[in-house]
Amino acid sequence: MNPVTTSFTDPVLARYLALGAVLFVIGLVGFMTRRNMIMIFLSTEIMFQGVAVNLIALSRYWHNADGQSFVIFLLTVAAAEASLALGLVVMLYRRRQTLNVDMWSDLQG
Amino acid sequence: MDYPLIIATAFGAIALYLMMPRGEAWLFKLGMLIGVLALGTGLSYLTHWATLHFPNHPGIGPGVFFYVFSLLAIGSAVGVVGHSKPIYSALYFVLMTLAISGLFVLLLAEFMAVVLIIIYAGAILVTYVFVIMLASPSGVAAAAVDYDRVSADPLIAILVSFLLLGTILEVLFSSSAPGTAAAVVGGAVTTAHGAHWNGLAALGQNLYSRYTIPLELAGVLMTISLVGAVVIARKNAPRTHTLGSGDMPTE
Repeated sequence: MNPVTTSFTDPVLARYLALGAVLFVIGLVGFMTRRNMIMIFLSTEIMFQGVAVNLIALSRYWHNADGQSFVIFLLTVAAAEASLALGLVVMLYRRRQTLNVDMWSDLQG
Repeated sequence: MDYPLIIATAFGAIALYLMMPRGEAWLFKLGMLIGVLALGTGLSYLTHWATLHFPNHPGIGPGVFFYVFSLLAIGSAVGVVGHSKPIYSALYFVLMTLAISGLFVLLLAEFMAVVLIIIYAGAILVTYVFVIMLASPSGVAAAAVDYDRVSADPLIAILVSFLLLGTILEVLFSSSAPGTAAAVVGGAVTTAHGAHWNGLAALGQNLYSRYTIPLELAGVLMTISLVGAVVIARKNAPRTHTLGSGDMPTE
Protein backbone atom coordinates (compact mmCIF):
# COMPACT_ATOMS: atom_id res chain seq x y z
CA MET A 1 0.00 0.00 0.00
CA ASN A 2 1.15 3.50 -0.75
CA PRO A 3 0.65 5.85 2.14
CA VAL A 4 -0.26 9.31 0.99
CA THR A 5 2.71 11.35 2.02
CA THR A 6 1.70 14.69 0.58
CA SER A 7 -1.83 15.90 0.76
CA PHE A 8 -3.46 16.27 -2.61
CA THR A 9 -6.07 18.94 -2.41
CA ASP A 10 -7.94 21.47 -4.48
CA PRO A 11 -5.14 23.98 -5.16
CA VAL A 12 -2.85 21.16 -6.20
CA LEU A 13 -5.51 19.75 -8.52
CA ALA A 14 -5.96 23.19 -10.06
CA ARG A 15 -2.25 23.35 -10.84
CA TYR A 16 -2.36 20.06 -12.71
CA LEU A 17 -5.48 21.05 -14.65
CA ALA A 18 -3.83 24.33 -15.65
CA LEU A 19 -0.75 22.44 -16.82
CA GLY A 20 -2.93 20.10 -18.90
CA ALA A 21 -4.68 23.09 -20.49
CA VAL A 22 -1.35 24.76 -21.33
CA LEU A 23 0.02 21.60 -22.95
CA PHE A 24 -3.19 21.11 -24.93
CA VAL A 25 -3.06 24.68 -26.25
CA ILE A 26 0.61 24.44 -27.22
CA GLY A 27 -0.18 21.27 -29.16
CA LEU A 28 -3.16 22.98 -30.78
CA VAL A 29 -1.00 25.88 -31.95
CA GLY A 30 1.52 23.44 -33.39
CA PHE A 31 -1.25 21.50 -35.11
CA MET A 32 -2.54 24.60 -36.85
CA THR A 33 0.72 26.29 -37.75
CA ARG A 34 3.26 23.64 -38.74
CA ARG A 35 3.32 22.71 -42.41
CA ASN A 36 5.24 19.46 -42.14
CA MET A 37 2.86 16.49 -41.99
CA ILE A 38 4.99 14.64 -39.44
CA MET A 39 5.07 17.71 -37.18
CA ILE A 40 1.29 18.03 -37.38
CA PHE A 41 0.87 14.52 -36.00
CA LEU A 42 3.55 15.11 -33.37
CA SER A 43 1.56 18.14 -32.18
CA THR A 44 -1.53 15.96 -31.72
CA GLU A 45 0.58 13.75 -29.46
CA ILE A 46 1.29 16.82 -27.28
CA MET A 47 -2.45 17.38 -27.03
CA PHE A 48 -2.93 13.72 -26.03
CA GLN A 49 -0.41 14.17 -23.22
CA GLY A 50 -2.17 17.28 -21.92
CA VAL A 51 -5.41 15.31 -21.71
CA ALA A 52 -3.59 12.44 -20.01
CA VAL A 53 -2.27 14.78 -17.31
CA ASN A 54 -5.84 15.97 -16.67
CA LEU A 55 -7.18 12.43 -16.41
CA ILE A 56 -4.46 11.16 -14.08
CA ALA A 57 -4.75 14.21 -11.81
CA LEU A 58 -8.52 13.83 -11.51
CA SER A 59 -8.13 10.11 -10.91
CA ARG A 60 -5.75 10.86 -8.07
CA TYR A 61 -8.03 13.54 -6.72
CA TRP A 62 -11.19 11.44 -6.56
CA HIS A 63 -9.35 8.23 -5.64
CA ASN A 64 -11.00 6.67 -8.66
CA ALA A 65 -9.20 4.46 -11.16
CA ASP A 66 -11.47 5.41 -14.07
CA GLY A 67 -9.07 8.17 -15.08
CA GLN A 68 -6.14 5.78 -15.33
CA SER A 69 -8.24 3.32 -17.34
CA PHE A 70 -9.11 6.10 -19.76
CA VAL A 71 -5.43 6.91 -20.14
CA ILE A 72 -4.81 3.26 -21.07
CA PHE A 73 -7.43 3.57 -23.83
CA LEU A 74 -5.97 6.94 -24.83
CA LEU A 75 -2.54 5.38 -25.26
CA THR A 76 -4.07 2.58 -27.34
CA VAL A 77 -5.78 5.03 -29.67
CA ALA A 78 -2.64 7.18 -29.84
CA ALA A 79 -0.52 4.20 -30.86
CA ALA A 80 -3.05 3.07 -33.49
CA GLU A 81 -3.34 6.61 -34.82
CA ALA A 82 0.42 7.05 -34.98
CA SER A 83 0.96 3.84 -36.94
CA LEU A 84 -1.81 4.56 -39.45
CA ALA A 85 -0.96 8.24 -39.82
CA LEU A 86 2.73 7.62 -40.33
CA GLY A 87 1.95 4.91 -42.89
CA LEU A 88 -0.16 7.47 -44.73
CA VAL A 89 2.64 10.05 -44.46
CA VAL A 90 5.14 7.64 -46.00
CA MET A 91 2.68 6.82 -48.79
CA LEU A 92 2.03 10.51 -49.52
CA TYR A 93 5.76 11.28 -49.44
CA ARG A 94 6.41 8.59 -52.03
CA ARG A 95 3.86 10.15 -54.36
CA ARG A 96 5.05 13.78 -54.32
CA GLN A 97 8.46 13.70 -52.64
CA THR A 98 7.50 16.40 -50.14
CA LEU A 99 6.01 16.57 -46.67
CA ASN A 100 4.47 20.00 -47.17
CA VAL A 101 0.72 19.88 -46.58
CA ASP A 102 0.25 22.85 -48.90
CA MET A 103 1.21 20.58 -51.79
CA TRP A 104 -1.91 18.54 -51.10
CA SER A 105 -4.32 21.47 -51.04
CA ASP A 106 -5.87 20.24 -54.27
CA LEU A 107 -7.61 17.61 -52.17
CA GLN A 108 -9.98 20.21 -50.77
CA GLY A 109 -11.93 20.16 -54.04
CA MET B 1 -12.00 37.83 -14.87
CA ASP B 2 -8.76 38.22 -12.99
CA TYR B 3 -6.26 40.56 -14.57
CA PRO B 4 -3.08 38.59 -13.73
CA LEU B 5 -4.58 35.63 -15.54
CA ILE B 6 -5.30 37.74 -18.64
CA ILE B 7 -1.79 39.19 -18.53
CA ALA B 8 -0.17 35.78 -18.18
CA THR B 9 -2.23 34.35 -21.04
CA ALA B 10 -1.45 37.33 -23.28
CA PHE B 11 2.27 37.12 -22.48
CA GLY B 12 2.16 33.41 -23.28
CA ALA B 13 0.47 34.10 -26.61
CA ILE B 14 3.05 36.76 -27.56
CA ALA B 15 5.90 34.49 -26.48
CA LEU B 16 4.65 31.55 -28.52
CA TYR B 17 4.07 33.84 -31.51
CA LEU B 18 7.66 35.01 -31.36
CA MET B 19 8.98 31.49 -30.89
CA MET B 20 7.31 29.95 -33.90
CA PRO B 21 9.88 29.02 -36.54
CA ARG B 22 10.68 32.11 -38.54
CA GLY B 23 14.36 31.80 -39.19
CA GLU B 24 15.53 34.58 -36.88
CA ALA B 25 17.27 33.65 -33.66
CA TRP B 26 16.86 36.90 -31.72
CA LEU B 27 13.07 36.75 -32.02
CA PHE B 28 13.21 33.26 -30.50
CA LYS B 29 15.25 34.56 -27.57
CA LEU B 30 12.90 37.48 -27.06
CA GLY B 31 9.99 35.04 -27.08
CA MET B 32 11.76 32.90 -24.52
CA LEU B 33 12.15 35.94 -22.26
CA ILE B 34 8.48 36.86 -22.54
CA GLY B 35 7.55 33.22 -22.01
CA VAL B 36 9.48 33.13 -18.73
CA LEU B 37 7.65 36.33 -17.78
CA ALA B 38 4.30 34.71 -18.59
CA LEU B 39 5.10 31.59 -16.58
CA GLY B 40 6.25 33.70 -13.65
CA THR B 41 3.06 35.74 -13.69
CA GLY B 42 0.96 32.60 -13.92
CA LEU B 43 2.78 30.84 -11.10
CA SER B 44 2.60 33.83 -8.76
CA TYR B 45 -1.09 34.13 -9.55
CA LEU B 46 -1.52 30.41 -8.73
CA THR B 47 0.13 30.87 -5.36
CA HIS B 48 -1.92 33.97 -4.66
CA TRP B 49 -5.13 32.18 -5.65
CA ALA B 50 -4.34 29.18 -3.46
CA THR B 51 -3.58 31.25 -0.37
CA LEU B 52 -6.66 33.39 -0.99
CA HIS B 53 -9.20 30.59 -1.37
CA PHE B 54 -7.66 27.77 0.65
CA PRO B 55 -5.86 29.54 3.49
CA ASN B 56 -5.73 26.56 5.81
CA HIS B 57 -4.79 23.83 3.37
CA PRO B 58 -1.59 21.97 4.09
CA GLY B 59 -1.04 21.26 0.39
CA ILE B 60 -0.24 24.80 -0.64
CA GLY B 61 3.47 24.38 -0.06
CA PRO B 62 5.98 24.96 -2.81
CA GLY B 63 5.88 21.52 -4.40
CA VAL B 64 9.31 21.79 -5.98
CA PHE B 65 9.06 18.62 -8.02
CA PHE B 66 5.78 19.68 -9.60
CA TYR B 67 7.24 22.99 -10.71
CA VAL B 68 10.43 21.44 -12.06
CA PHE B 69 8.60 18.77 -14.05
CA SER B 70 5.87 21.07 -15.32
CA LEU B 71 8.30 23.78 -16.42
CA LEU B 72 10.33 21.09 -18.18
CA ALA B 73 7.18 19.77 -19.86
CA ILE B 74 5.99 23.19 -21.02
CA GLY B 75 9.46 24.22 -22.19
CA SER B 76 10.02 21.08 -24.20
CA ALA B 77 6.48 21.23 -25.65
CA VAL B 78 7.32 24.70 -26.93
CA GLY B 79 10.56 23.23 -28.24
CA VAL B 80 8.59 20.59 -30.18
CA VAL B 81 6.33 23.18 -31.74
CA GLY B 82 9.01 25.80 -32.28
CA HIS B 83 12.03 23.90 -33.58
CA SER B 84 12.56 23.97 -37.29
CA LYS B 85 14.14 20.53 -37.61
CA PRO B 86 11.75 17.59 -37.10
CA ILE B 87 14.35 15.30 -35.58
CA TYR B 88 15.06 17.82 -32.80
CA SER B 89 11.33 18.21 -32.25
CA ALA B 90 11.09 14.45 -31.76
CA LEU B 91 13.89 14.57 -29.20
CA TYR B 92 12.17 17.44 -27.36
CA PHE B 93 9.06 15.28 -27.35
CA VAL B 94 10.98 12.51 -25.60
CA LEU B 95 12.05 15.06 -22.97
CA MET B 96 8.42 16.13 -22.53
CA THR B 97 7.35 12.50 -22.11
CA LEU B 98 9.95 11.98 -19.40
CA ALA B 99 8.82 15.12 -17.55
CA ILE B 100 5.17 14.07 -17.72
CA SER B 101 5.97 10.59 -16.46
CA GLY B 102 7.68 12.29 -13.53
CA LEU B 103 4.43 14.12 -12.88
CA PHE B 104 2.59 10.79 -13.03
CA VAL B 105 4.89 9.43 -10.33
CA LEU B 106 4.02 12.46 -8.21
CA LEU B 107 0.35 11.61 -8.77
CA LEU B 108 0.95 8.05 -7.44
CA ALA B 109 0.35 6.55 -10.88
CA GLU B 110 3.66 4.73 -11.19
CA PHE B 111 2.35 2.15 -13.63
CA MET B 112 1.09 4.85 -15.96
CA ALA B 113 4.47 6.59 -15.75
CA VAL B 114 6.29 3.45 -16.85
CA VAL B 115 3.71 2.74 -19.55
CA LEU B 116 4.04 6.29 -20.84
CA ILE B 117 7.80 5.93 -21.21
CA ILE B 118 7.58 2.50 -22.83
CA ILE B 119 4.80 3.33 -25.28
CA TYR B 120 5.53 6.97 -26.09
CA ALA B 121 9.28 7.27 -25.79
CA GLY B 122 9.88 3.67 -26.75
CA ALA B 123 7.37 2.79 -29.44
CA ILE B 124 5.62 5.83 -30.88
CA LEU B 125 8.65 8.11 -30.96
CA VAL B 126 10.80 5.44 -32.58
CA THR B 127 8.16 5.18 -35.30
CA TYR B 128 8.25 8.95 -35.73
CA VAL B 129 12.04 8.99 -35.96
CA PHE B 130 11.96 6.20 -38.55
CA VAL B 131 9.46 8.11 -40.67
CA ILE B 132 11.43 11.34 -40.30
CA MET B 133 14.50 9.51 -41.57
CA LEU B 134 12.61 7.72 -44.36
CA ALA B 135 10.80 10.79 -45.58
CA SER B 136 13.30 13.60 -45.16
CA PRO B 137 13.94 15.25 -48.51
CA SER B 138 17.71 15.29 -48.54
CA GLY B 139 19.03 13.43 -45.55
CA VAL B 140 19.10 14.23 -41.88
CA ALA B 141 22.21 16.36 -42.04
CA ALA B 142 20.76 18.75 -44.60
CA ALA B 143 19.50 22.15 -43.60
CA ALA B 144 15.85 22.53 -42.66
CA VAL B 145 13.59 22.67 -45.68
CA ASP B 146 11.48 25.67 -46.49
CA TYR B 147 8.18 24.44 -45.06
CA ASP B 148 9.88 23.69 -41.74
CA ARG B 149 11.69 27.00 -41.47
CA VAL B 150 8.61 29.17 -41.78
CA SER B 151 5.36 28.30 -40.04
CA ALA B 152 2.02 28.89 -41.69
CA ASP B 153 0.49 32.16 -40.46
CA PRO B 154 0.63 31.62 -36.70
CA LEU B 155 -1.24 34.79 -35.71
CA ILE B 156 -4.84 33.60 -36.03
CA ALA B 157 -4.05 30.12 -34.71
CA ILE B 158 -2.39 31.54 -31.61
CA LEU B 159 -5.19 34.03 -31.00
CA VAL B 160 -7.86 31.32 -31.16
CA SER B 161 -5.86 28.84 -29.09
CA PHE B 162 -5.03 31.28 -26.32
CA LEU B 163 -8.65 32.45 -26.23
CA LEU B 164 -9.44 28.82 -25.44
CA LEU B 165 -6.70 28.72 -22.79
CA GLY B 166 -7.98 31.93 -21.19
CA THR B 167 -11.49 30.51 -21.05
CA ILE B 168 -10.32 27.27 -19.45
CA LEU B 169 -8.21 29.11 -16.86
CA GLU B 170 -11.09 31.48 -16.12
CA VAL B 171 -13.41 28.53 -15.46
CA LEU B 172 -10.76 26.88 -13.30
CA PHE B 173 -9.75 29.85 -11.19
CA SER B 174 -12.54 32.37 -11.16
CA SER B 175 -14.30 32.54 -7.84
CA SER B 176 -17.69 33.61 -9.16
CA ALA B 177 -18.48 31.33 -12.10
CA PRO B 178 -20.43 28.15 -11.33
CA GLY B 179 -18.65 24.89 -11.83
CA THR B 180 -15.24 26.15 -10.77
CA ALA B 181 -12.74 23.97 -9.05
CA ALA B 182 -13.59 25.66 -5.78
CA ALA B 183 -17.31 24.97 -6.24
CA VAL B 184 -17.01 21.43 -7.57
CA VAL B 185 -14.87 20.36 -4.70
CA GLY B 186 -16.24 21.20 -1.32
CA GLY B 187 -17.59 17.67 -0.87
CA ALA B 188 -16.25 15.02 1.43
CA VAL B 189 -15.30 12.66 -1.37
CA THR B 190 -11.65 13.59 -1.30
CA THR B 191 -11.06 12.37 2.19
CA ALA B 192 -13.68 9.66 2.31
CA HIS B 193 -11.41 6.90 1.08
CA GLY B 194 -8.84 7.28 3.78
CA ALA B 195 -5.14 7.83 3.48
CA HIS B 196 -4.35 4.75 1.40
CA TRP B 197 -4.54 4.66 -2.34
CA ASN B 198 -2.98 1.86 -4.30
CA GLY B 199 -3.24 3.08 -7.85
CA LEU B 200 -2.10 -0.07 -9.63
CA ALA B 201 -4.40 -2.46 -7.77
CA ALA B 202 -7.35 -0.14 -8.29
CA LEU B 203 -6.47 0.22 -11.96
CA GLY B 204 -6.30 -3.53 -12.55
CA GLN B 205 -9.54 -4.17 -10.75
CA ASN B 206 -11.24 -1.36 -12.64
CA LEU B 207 -9.94 -2.42 -16.05
CA TYR B 208 -10.87 -6.07 -15.70
CA SER B 209 -14.23 -5.63 -14.03
CA ARG B 210 -15.82 -2.46 -15.25
CA TYR B 211 -14.08 -1.95 -18.58
CA THR B 212 -13.59 -5.54 -19.75
CA ILE B 213 -15.38 -5.17 -23.08
CA PRO B 214 -13.74 -1.82 -23.92
CA LEU B 215 -10.39 -3.42 -23.14
CA GLU B 216 -11.09 -6.23 -25.61
CA LEU B 217 -12.26 -3.67 -28.14
CA ALA B 218 -8.97 -1.82 -27.66
CA GLY B 219 -7.18 -5.04 -28.62
CA VAL B 220 -9.37 -5.34 -31.71
CA LEU B 221 -8.53 -1.72 -32.57
CA MET B 222 -4.82 -2.47 -32.32
CA THR B 223 -5.18 -5.48 -34.62
CA ILE B 224 -7.17 -3.51 -37.18
CA SER B 225 -4.66 -0.68 -37.18
CA LEU B 226 -1.79 -3.15 -37.55
CA VAL B 227 -3.44 -4.71 -40.60
CA GLY B 228 -4.30 -1.27 -41.95
CA ALA B 229 -0.75 0.00 -41.55
CA VAL B 230 0.62 -3.01 -43.41
CA VAL B 231 -1.91 -2.56 -46.22
CA ILE B 232 -1.22 1.17 -46.53
CA ALA B 233 2.53 0.75 -46.44
CA ARG B 234 2.90 -1.96 -49.05
CA LYS B 235 0.15 -1.28 -51.55
CA ASN B 236 1.67 1.75 -53.26
CA ALA B 237 5.32 0.92 -53.07
CA PRO B 238 5.68 -1.08 -56.31
CA ARG B 239 3.40 1.22 -58.25
CA THR B 240 5.49 4.39 -58.10
CA HIS B 241 8.90 2.77 -58.05
CA THR B 242 10.08 -0.04 -60.23
CA LEU B 243 11.90 -2.59 -58.17
CA GLY B 244 15.64 -2.52 -58.45
CA SER B 245 15.81 1.09 -59.60
CA GLY B 246 18.29 1.73 -56.84
CA ASP B 247 16.60 4.45 -54.79
CA MET B 248 14.49 2.11 -52.67
CA PRO B 249 16.05 0.82 -49.49
CA THR B 250 16.19 -2.93 -49.41
CA GLU B 251 15.33 -4.55 -46.13
